Amino acid sequence: MASQAALVVIYIMAAQGVSILTGYTGLVTVGHGGFLAIGAYTSALLTKHYGVDLVVGIVAAGFMAAFIGCILGLVFLRLSGAFMAIGTLGFAFFMGTIFNNVPIFEGREGISLPDNRVFGMVIGDDGFYVVSVLVLALTTLFVYCLVRSGVGRAFMALRDSEKAAESSGVNRILYRTIAFTISAAITGVAGALNAHIVNYISAEVYGDIWYSVDFLVATVVGGSAVLMGPFIGGAFVALVPFFLEELADFSYILKGAVLIGVLIIAPAGVAEVLGRPIRAWRRRQLAAAEAQNTEAGT
Amino acid sequence: MTSLLRCEQVTVRFGGVVACDKISLDVEAGKVVGLIGPNGAGKTTLFNVLSRFQDYDEGNVLYHDQNVDKKKSHEMIELGMARTFQNINLFAEQTVLDNILIGAHHQIGNPLANMFWLPGARRNEHAITKRAIEIAKMLHLEDELDNLVRNLPYGLQKRVEMARALAAEPEIILLDEPVAGCNDEETAELKDIIQRVNKELGVTVLLVEHDMSMVMAVCDYIHVINFGANLASGTPAEIRADSNVIKAYLGEDDS
Repeated sequence: MASQAALVVIYIMAAQGVSILTGYTGLVTVGHGGFLAIGAYTSALLTKHYGVDLVVGIVAAGFMAAFIGCILGLVFLRLSGAFMAIGTLGFAFFMGTIFNNVPIFEGREGISLPDNRVFGMVIGDDGFYVVSVLVLALTTLFVYCLVRSGVGRAFMALRDSEKAAESSGVNRILYRTIAFTISAAITGVAGALNAHIVNYISAEVYGDIWYSVDFLVATVVGGSAVLMGPFIGGAFVALVPFFLEELADFSYILKGAVLIGVLIIAPAGVAEVLGRPIRAWRRRQLAAAEAQNTEAGT
Repeated sequence: MTSLLRCEQVTVRFGGVVACDKISLDVEAGKVVGLIGPNGAGKTTLFNVLSRFQDYDEGNVLYHDQNVDKKKSHEMIELGMARTFQNINLFAEQTVLDNILIGAHHQIGNPLANMFWLPGARRNEHAITKRAIEIAKMLHLEDELDNLVRNLPYGLQKRVEMARALAAEPEIILLDEPVAGCNDEETAELKDIIQRVNKELGVTVLLVEHDMSMVMAVCDYIHVINFGANLASGTPAEIRADSNVIKAYLGEDDS
């Protein structure tokens, strides 16, 4: 149960990474499974060969994914829209081929990992869940600050009108690269956790593009430019196969049906719809406060 | 008598079409300068050249007597030049306040400090927000700050775009048809705003506009171009009396 819950946390985190790029910066990515794999293998290899702490593995995974993300951002500098989607899909295939064939990654044989250690102590499933939640709290806090900062404003400006953004002084190359880097780093951290949740990784799982598709579905269903979006979408994608275990492939059909339904009914995502009453309530509060102020003034 | 922005003999070719043919003009600091001409005269192309959205084939563009060849469009705002677009270019799904705040983007400082909300960055954000609200007040947008731009009427959107340009605290602002598509009331309001921006904030204005009564009323100096070339320049009174200008606008009297 704890590891199932940790899996939900990992999906939420990975979707947060996707939402930075797809939701806030407007660049659709179908390749974030590649960053998940980079994070997973970075942490797995460090743990296997150097016996590093889980915390070190997570941080290293974040940096490695950020580094590759930065390079990919520069390579895809001129891509947008469908071309960006295809380009990132190509990246996922590229990474999959590497993990399948380069000997150090041990292909489909896979790598078995030792027990998880945090600051020298071996932690079980419950401890791992706690660590995952703490990491998710950090990434959520970071995303919260980021999207409300001047940098987040620049991302959304580039998404809504590149021309207006540039005339307002937003350096398109710089901010796209920053978005790619941060987005990759967050998904890379999720990848490190994903490797250690079962202490085994293999290219059979990470070489496929299903992760990439799942994360994009999670981001779109939940709401890509809302803080709560990845939580709803990530939980949905992670839990559907769990609850519908007996039905196996039916879960894919359900995921697809929900995706289509959301795109038609609430293109901005479920979180945006659920957030509406809250926002309306807050607006009413503000208006009431304002009315009171003007009354007091006269 | 210092010229803030000057272009000398600027030529722009699109394939075989010459959009600007050796156009020269200069904008004196502190003035409101108009750039007029019939449709297709090359006004918007010239605007794009000045704001570095468009490369030119020959000539020079000088800002404070410095060549701006090597500058990127996003770097012009650091030099002190902001612009608006002919077809409004705003962030429609964002609030008016966010739209204005983006204008102050070059003042956010180090992006790394900014995204982690370090204390310095936080103070900076407060200062930027405060100024954005002041500008909104000046442009009578204070009641719209929380509204989404796409829900606003056209005239207000034009004002939001101008507010965004002003948030950068520019020395010069380039307005591409600020009153096109506005009704009489909105036009009068924008005219008043342009004059106040010029007088109260000391911002130099270069504007392209088709509304002649508005151009004649607000401009200190006017440049006329036609078929991508200089046709005339002078004070509004001189332009009104210029026979070449009258011919260009009303056509040759053949009878």
